[in-house]
Amino acid sequence: MTSIRTSGGTTRVASLTSLASLVAAALIGTSPSASAADTLDVVVPFAAGGATDIVARSFEPTFSQQLGVTSVVRNVAGASATVGTAEVANSEGNPNIIGYEPAGALTIQPSLKDLPYGPDSFTYICRTVSNPMFLMVSKSSDITSFQQLSDESQEQPFLYGSSGPGTLPHLAMAALTVNSDLKAQHVPYSGSGPAMNALAGNEIQIMADTETILENYDLRPLAVFAEHRVEGYPDVPTMQELGLPEMDFAVWQGVVAPKGISDERAQQYADACKATVESEKFKTFAEKAKAGIAYLGPDDFKAYVEQRVEANKQVLKDAGLTE
Amino acid sequence: MDVILAAAGDAFTWHALLAIVVGTWAGIIIGGLPGLGSVVGLTIFLPFTFGMDVITSMALLIGVYCGSVYGGSITAILINTPGTPQSAATTFDGYPMTQQGRVDEALGWATFASFFGGVLSCVLLIFCAPQLAKFAVNFGSVEVFALVCLAMLCIVGVSQGSTLKGLVCGMMGFFFSMVGSDPITGADRFTFGNYSLSAGLTLIPVVVGAFALSEVFVRFATRDDEAAKIPEARLRLPGLREIVRRGIELIRGSFIGSFVGALPGTGAAAAAFISYASAQKLSPRRANLGKGEPDGIIASESSNNAVTGSSFIPTLALGIPGDVVTAMMMGAMVIHGITPGVRLMADQAQTVYSLFVVLIIVNVAMLILSKPSIGLFRYLFKLPQGYVMGGIVMFSFIGAVSVRGNPLDLIVMALTGVLAYVLRRGGYPLAPLVIGMVLGPELESSLRRGLLISRGDFFAFFTHSGIASFLFVLIGLFVVWTLWSSFIQWRQHVNARADAVPSSGNRQ
Repeated sequence: MTSIRTSGGTTRVASLTSLASLVAAALIGTSPSASAADTLDVVVPFAAGGATDIVARSFEPTFSQQLGVTSVVRNVAGASATVGTAEVANSEGNPNIIGYEPAGALTIQPSLKDLPYGPDSFTYICRTVSNPMFLMVSKSSDITSFQQLSDESQEQPFLYGSSGPGTLPHLAMAALTVNSDLKAQHVPYSGSGPAMNALAGNEIQIMADTETILENYDLRPLAVFAEHRVEGYPDVPTMQELGLPEMDFAVWQGVVAPKGISDERAQQYADACKATVESEKFKTFAEKAKAGIAYLGPDDFKAYVEQRVEANKQVLKDAGLTE
Repeated sequence: MDVILAAAGDAFTWHALLAIVVGTWAGIIIGGLPGLGSVVGLTIFLPFTFGMDVITSMALLIGVYCGSVYGGSITAILINTPGTPQSAATTFDGYPMTQQGRVDEALGWATFASFFGGVLSCVLLIFCAPQLAKFAVNFGSVEVFALVCLAMLCIVGVSQGSTLKGLVCGMMGFFFSMVGSDPITGADRFTFGNYSLSAGLTLIPVVVGAFALSEVFVRFATRDDEAAKIPEARLRLPGLREIVRRGIELIRGSFIGSFVGALPGTGAAAAAFISYASAQKLSPRRANLGKGEPDGIIASESSNNAVTGSSFIPTLALGIPGDVVTAMMMGAMVIHGITPGVRLMADQAQTVYSLFVVLIIVNVAMLILSKPSIGLFRYLFKLPQGYVMGGIVMFSFIGAVSVRGNPLDLIVMALTGVLAYVLRRGGYPLAPLVIGMVLGPELESSLRRGLLISRGDFFAFFTHSGIASFLFVLIGLFVVWTLWSSFIQWRQHVNARADAVPSSGNRQ
């Protein structure tokens, strides 16, 4: 009980300060200061309690400890995570703000919409976790292979769900329908939950998502959108093994800072991130939450994001989602 | 049986009970403050739970959730300002009762109906979760579309006087909900090229502006201190005979709430409106609804609190979070190493049973804590009116921005407040605006998904499934019924006028 009290006490102060800083920020606008202060703003572009938020909140304590600062997780949600991401991008030169970002906001949305930021707006710190996506159908269906799925779709196209337009589940399936004989049409839902409900009720037949979703519901994997087979799923073939072009889709998260911060600060962030990802505490959490740790350092992460932006741009174009 | 006893043991530890008391009480207060609702309450308390064990953290979060849904009704009744959107329908009859000096009775019914709805939904959750979940899975896009259409009909009922004015406000709310990203294509719409609008207008800032802020404006503008005076709030729980007399209303509201809660993505605000709409058709005292009839409060409060229990049905039976709140609970479970999903019930039976026990204790705690909470509000509202109204404005701004941390929401809230004030002055009812806002997104996306599924054939909706056909027939009956009863009313009115002409001054 004492542990509850102490941790509760500090977090209450933290949430009060965050509330106060929210109000202050809203009233006077965020004022970027050039020097590194003791408080770090960790922007999570989703509402509290979501999948990304949970990982961010487990990442944040160790990260700020490494940096020797007090940090506050701030949820700035809306418009497919682009609002919070834009706030990080708009804080150019501010050494006291970072974003804990999902893949979509960094590598899909900029090609899809007119946003106040692009891939060049950030200083890339690190990629933390990444989970490959699976192509899956309901366990109650009699389809057991991709070939069978593709054959049965010729008469009447299947419907595939997604957690929203322009999300990774949408893109992965769009890429698959463009690059294979599979005939399927997109039905977007407002999140993975409602899409799973639709799959359970056979309103849709196909969904692409990660291992977490696969394990939590009665689903059957048919293939994996990755270079190699995934540990724990030795029978699930990759797209290449099915004779299709390479398709690499993973749900990943990473840390970015606004551009224009000093190299010294960027290096501090990078070191802290590496130490956090390698810490026992984060590893234990990642295992529980089925988040696959996949660390990439600043340069590799930057190159990876650039490569994903190009690949996704091509998918969006092929699928007719952009011109 | 051993599992249930062990589960009860987990729930009756002193720190779990303390978490329930703290959570429920904080929830009632947070829910009662206009602007701060369930999501804000949970966001504040979520970081506390990281250091607790799983049952204690669930107890705290469930307490905050259930408490906030109930707490919203207190301010809805006292000052015509729902503390949370879920209690918007409570203002329809709650505030008129206050104006008639029946505030203790109104609060009593709101408290008892919340308790009743909460407990009944727990019972359904415990005994019928798998069956209800299986039934809810049958609610695809087409069925949800039909259900939302049914709920939309209540706009006509709450328009009080002018159906046209009600529809204008309903459409306005519907339009507000369309600003932002298109749910099907993802493209921005109605943003006028302004990036900050692409996040859309969300419910909380609009509700807070429309009710809380406009209420402040109205109170200051009228300058009628007598009318603006907030009465002393006391709680008088209804007697047994009264409860039995209105038992059927309690049961209907609770069942509607339980069922709507089991559908993913619909929520407590929608449940309250659907329940209120049904009371308008089925309550034996329906003629009085909207003028201060306890049945209206019962319909709203029993159903929105019934959602608290049943929203766990899809979460526990299918691993699908029904709304933002249950999604946060699932997040808290993941932190503690429990993976929600289809096998949760089998793998973690003891945790799930303790959750049930906690839910029931929370509802009992809510009933017990209602009196001190209302006492606190009584104390707060005794302060000079300037402070009370100033406080409401402050909490409105904090609440509006803390939902998703977007400064746009502050502007939206302020402008909605001004707009709502103008509308109220013009005799336009505000409730339809909120109904349009609550139901609009679901109506639109379910219609468009339904069209994708039926490949563009709207008429296929009517024969899509037995449930869909049934709901559409029900809608047809409601429309015919409404037209018929307004025809009868019109004829009586005409007759009365004809009779009244010779004996002047005696209007029906």
